[in-house]
Amino acid sequence: MTTTGLHRPAPGSVPPPAAGTRRYRAAAGWRLGRLYLVSRRVPMALALLAGLGALLWTALHWHWNIAGGPAARQFIPLTIETGAAAVIAVTTYGPFGEPERAAGRWLPWLRLGAAVALTAVAFGVLAAGAAAGGMPGGTLALLRNFGGLVGLGLLSAVVLGGPFAWTGPMAYLLVAEGALAHRSATPWVWPTRPPHDRGGAICACLVLVAGLVLITVRGPRESGRESGPAS
Amino acid sequence: MTAAAAAPVRHRTPRATSALPFSAARLLRVELRRNTMPWILPLIAALFWFDSYRPSTGTSALYGLRTYWSMGQGHTIIDFGPFVAGVAAWMGSRDGRRGLADLVTATAQLATWAATAIWAVAAYLVFVSVMFAVYAHQGVGGTPPWWYVAVGATGVIAFSAFGFAIGAFWPSRFAAPVAAFGGFLAMYLSFQIGFHHTSGWALILPTNSSGNFDGSAQADSGIFYPWLPDLPIARIMFLAGIAVAALGVTGLPARAGGRRLRAAAAVLTLAGAALAGTAVGLASTAQESAYGVVIPTLHDAANDAPITYTPVCGRSAGVQVCLNPAYGRWLPDMTAALAPVLTEVAGLPGAPVRATQIAAAYPSGGDGPPQPIMFGGQPPVLRMQLGLLHMPGPCGFCVGPTTAQFADEMRLLFAHAFVGAGDSPGSPAQQAVQAALLQGAGVPFAAQPGVIAIAENFPGPTPQAATGPVYAAARRLATWPAAARHAWLAAHLAALRADRLTLEELP
Repeated sequence: MTTTGLHRPAPGSVPPPAAGTRRYRAAAGWRLGRLYLVSRRVPMALALLAGLGALLWTALHWHWNIAGGPAARQFIPLTIETGAAAVIAVTTYGPFGEPERAAGRWLPWLRLGAAVALTAVAFGVLAAGAAAGGMPGGTLALLRNFGGLVGLGLLSAVVLGGPFAWTGPMAYLLVAEGALAHRSATPWVWPTRPPHDRGGAICACLVLVAGLVLITVRGPRESGRESGPAS
Repeated sequence: MTAAAAAPVRHRTPRATSALPFSAARLLRVELRRNTMPWILPLIAALFWFDSYRPSTGTSALYGLRTYWSMGQGHTIIDFGPFVAGVAAWMGSRDGRRGLADLVTATAQLATWAATAIWAVAAYLVFVSVMFAVYAHQGVGGTPPWWYVAVGATGVIAFSAFGFAIGAFWPSRFAAPVAAFGGFLAMYLSFQIGFHHTSGWALILPTNSSGNFDGSAQADSGIFYPWLPDLPIARIMFLAGIAVAALGVTGLPARAGGRRLRAAAAVLTLAGAALAGTAVGLASTAQESAYGVVIPTLHDAANDAPITYTPVCGRSAGVQVCLNPAYGRWLPDMTAALAPVLTEVAGLPGAPVRATQIAAAYPSGGDGPPQPIMFGGQPPVLRMQLGLLHMPGPCGFCVGPTTAQFADEMRLLFAHAFVGAGDSPGSPAQQAVQAALLQGAGVPFAAQPGVIAIAENFPGPTPQAATGPVYAAARRLATWPAAARHAWLAAHLAALRADRLTLEELP
């Protein structure tokens, strides 16, 4: 008995594209991308992002805003944006560890692509949620605030690891809430700045770019310790 | 063969009753060592410093004001709760993520939750203790709101149980951020409810300070009278009920254990829900008393006893001025502020023989009608509810009065009370005499509308400028020689206070 017959495709199956052809590369790339997204639980993340968009719509439509002035009105939308950023940050966690890093030539590009695509989708979903009207600062502020929060989430993933990357945006939410309440106006707390403020936009962009670059180049932190934050 | 070898070896059978607690304790110790919570505590410590401690240092050195943001508005719970919920969800989902959920007993799961909760509560108590120790070192007046600390600790337990339940049911990487996000959203929504509902069931929400915490009610809890425990007890019941119900829910699925265990979990869930529901019902019966929120079913009359103290006293224009020792740091400001007006009215009928601080009562609120300064008794005593005022220096979210502004405000309130205007703006004649007295005490006419604008609780509209018939009459009176003005006031003060004088009858 030999293994010769194992190379023969099953009767009726579509023959695989020949190795090296463009079709083969496209099929392999599609499969790689799909497996990567599934391993990062992106479908579940998309479902959660859709839920957050719906929540934002509900909050704006039913006026869940907190009494106390324009700053207080930002709390609930900012919390929902933070939740979306936290979800994106947590998708960076990979379950395969060292073998994937050693063999995954395309891993950095997959990380970058997934982060950018998820951010774009989340922004679209949140913008749709903001269509209910009354979004403080409008779409421009949403773009700036959310982009900066995603950057923070990605940076947290690099420092703390994927499973605990949510802590960065959540901590920033508390800082922003305190700054809004105390009328602090440093551009590093961009939600406190007006939508067209250049300083706030620059800071948010810097954080987003730093997050994307680091998550692409370094990837999320991984640790062998079970109890550690990167586990 | 020796005797020793021949003797039968007797093994003592370990008693099951002693083995179980021992193994549980060992399990707990292992879980405490392998818990994720300690890793997140540095972040929580930084947030606690930034969000709870740092803003409090900008308020007056009184516990009611220092802890208004951190305890009254529940920011210590916000700093801890969502992060604790997230980490607890991560711990709760641990066995599920590894596919071991079916192999782990309920006791082991409970130990995992207990270890998480122990770390979180211990950290909460340590952080709050450090904050209060710093306050004590800074000489903050009054007593800390210990009952609200207990509410915070119970809140942390509730968040840990809530997060753990999410993790146990949903062993996913997203369980932690979803639990933390849910915690934040719940806290901010309870803010929103609290600002709109200052009474009734909404008082149960741990972030609702409106009208029930010293800082927002501008009262004197922990200084003249104790912090009433009624509302904190109801909140502890509510949060403990949530915690028990959440833990009970984790024991309901078939994989959790046998029928007995699941039945016990169901009972626990129902008991927790009943406890939380009872607490909400109790909160809806809450009434605001002079010294805080009273829940009749929970109220202990022993808590109404005032706090005894030895006043700190000074002299101002020959009149003794006494304050609660918690306000002792402002005694020089008080004596300096009162001296010019006391000199103005010295020797007149109704001039105070003494000035003493009295407790500010809860229903007064921040914008109610009661006046911070009143006259009473015979011989007359100046009674000052300083708890209604912003004392000189920083005052948190407001623009705190400077020492000079505070002095002018005190003189205005004194003159207003002296002419008998009470809770109203006063008659035109009373307003004119008030303005003349203030001018004599060093507050120029032109500055008086500004002083009225910043005065706490001052009744009536603020004049745009020191013009009109009232100020014209006041200017006439002020131009009189001091002795003549004094004599006129001595003769007409009773009529002025009884509102029987018109502007035309003023000299």
